[in-house]
Amino acid sequence: MSKTIETDSLEIFANEMEKVKDALPKKIEANPENAEKGLAKLVLTLIELIRKLMEKQAMRRVEAGSLTDEEIERVGETLMKLENKMKELKEIFGLKDEELNLNLGPLGDLL
Amino acid sequence: MSLYAYAIIDSTVGVEESIKGLSGAPVYTIPYRDIGIVVSDLDSQVQIKTDESILKHEEVMEALMDKFTVLPMRLYTVFSKKEDMLLKVKDHYEDFIENLDKVRDKCEYGIKVIWAGNVIKDRIINAHKNENASAQPEQSGAKFMKEKFEKYKIDKEFEEDADRCIAIVDGFISKFISEKKLEKLKTDNLLLSASYLVDNEKRDDFKKAFEELKSSGGDLKYMLSGPWPAYNFITLKHSGDGKFGGMDLVETVLRHKDPKEKDEK
Repeated sequence: MSKTIETDSLEIFANEMEKVKDALPKKIEANPENAEKGLAKLVLTLIELIRKLMEKQAMRRVEAGSLTDEEIERVGETLMKLENKMKELKEIFGLKDEELNLNLGPLGDLL
Repeated sequence: MSLYAYAIIDSTVGVEESIKGLSGAPVYTIPYRDIGIVVSDLDSQVQIKTDESILKHEEVMEALMDKFTVLPMRLYTVFSKKEDMLLKVKDHYEDFIENLDKVRDKCEYGIKVIWAGNVIKDRIINAHKNENASAQPEQSGAKFMKEKFEKYKIDKEFEEDADRCIAIVDGFISKFISEKKLEKLKTDNLLLSASYLVDNEKRDDFKKAFEELKSSGGDLKYMLSGPWPAYNFITLKHSGDGKFGGMDLVETVLRHKDPKEKDEK
C-alpha cells in the first residue's frame, strides 16, 4: 500500500502547515526552574477562556439587540478592563497570546 | 534494552524478518491473546525524536498495512520492559478489539484545502469599513463594544464563507467514505484539514472524486495524502487521549522528500 502525497502546490501547503505546527498549543511545562511561569500559563489560559466566552456572549446579545445603551456601556467597560488586566499579567509573566492555549487531545484545542 | 512499539495488529503471527525498524533493528511481534504488538528492540541511549525515526515508523506501518489490520501506536512509544507493555495492552484489550473491527479493510486519507483566506478577510473588512464610516460613540465602554462587535461580525462572516466552501468540498467526497473528521480554518488560509476513513474497495472512487474536485477549477488548492493507517479514527475508552499518532507530523517530514518518490506504483 504505497503512500501518495498529491498536490500541485506542495510548497504552499508546507508553509501553511508550518504555521499550524508553530501555533500548536504547548504543554504546560512545570519544573523547579519555571514552576511559577508554568502555573501562570495554566491560570491565565483558563482566565482567557472565561474572558473570551464572556465576550462572545456579550456579542451575541448585542447582535440580538437585547442590551440597552447603558448595559452596552457597562459591559464594554468591564470587558475592556479585563482585557487590559490580561495584557498586564501576560507582560509580567512574559507570555504571548499564542502560548495561552491547551491541547485537549481528541477534543481539540481549548482556545 | 527497551521496546519501541509501532502498532497493534489483528494477528499473532510474526512479521517478515526483512522489515527493519528504528536503528535498523528487526521488527517482530509479541502476541497477546489473539492480537499482536509489533515492536523492535531499542537501545535506551539512542535519541529517537528525529525525522528519520518518523519516516522509519511510517515505513514499518506501510509494510504492516499490506498484510494486517493495523492500529498505529503514537510516535515515539517506548516501553522499558515487555511486562509493562503487556500490562497496558491487557488494560486496553477490549478497546483494541473494537477498534480493529472498526478499521478492518479501511484506510485513512487526508485532504487539505487552501483558499485565499487573507484576501477574503480583507474584502470583508473593507466592506465593513465602508458601512461603518459614521462617527464613533464617545463613551469608552460603548466604543470598545462597537469595535469588538465589528470584529465579531467580520469573523462570523468569514466563518460562514468557509462553511459554505467546506460543504461543497466535503459533499463531493463524503459519499465514498465511512467516517470523517473535519477541522476548519486551522489558519486563515488553511480552509480545511480533513481525515476520511475509506473502505478499501472504495479507494479508487474516493481518489477519482478527489481528482474531479481538483480539476473543477476555482481558486482552491488541494492536497491528498494516504493511504494512512487510521490514525484519527481510533478511540480508547480508557485513555485520556484517544489519538495514537501524529499524521500531520509525518506529512511534515515527508514533504522534505521528493513527492515523486511516493507516487503510487
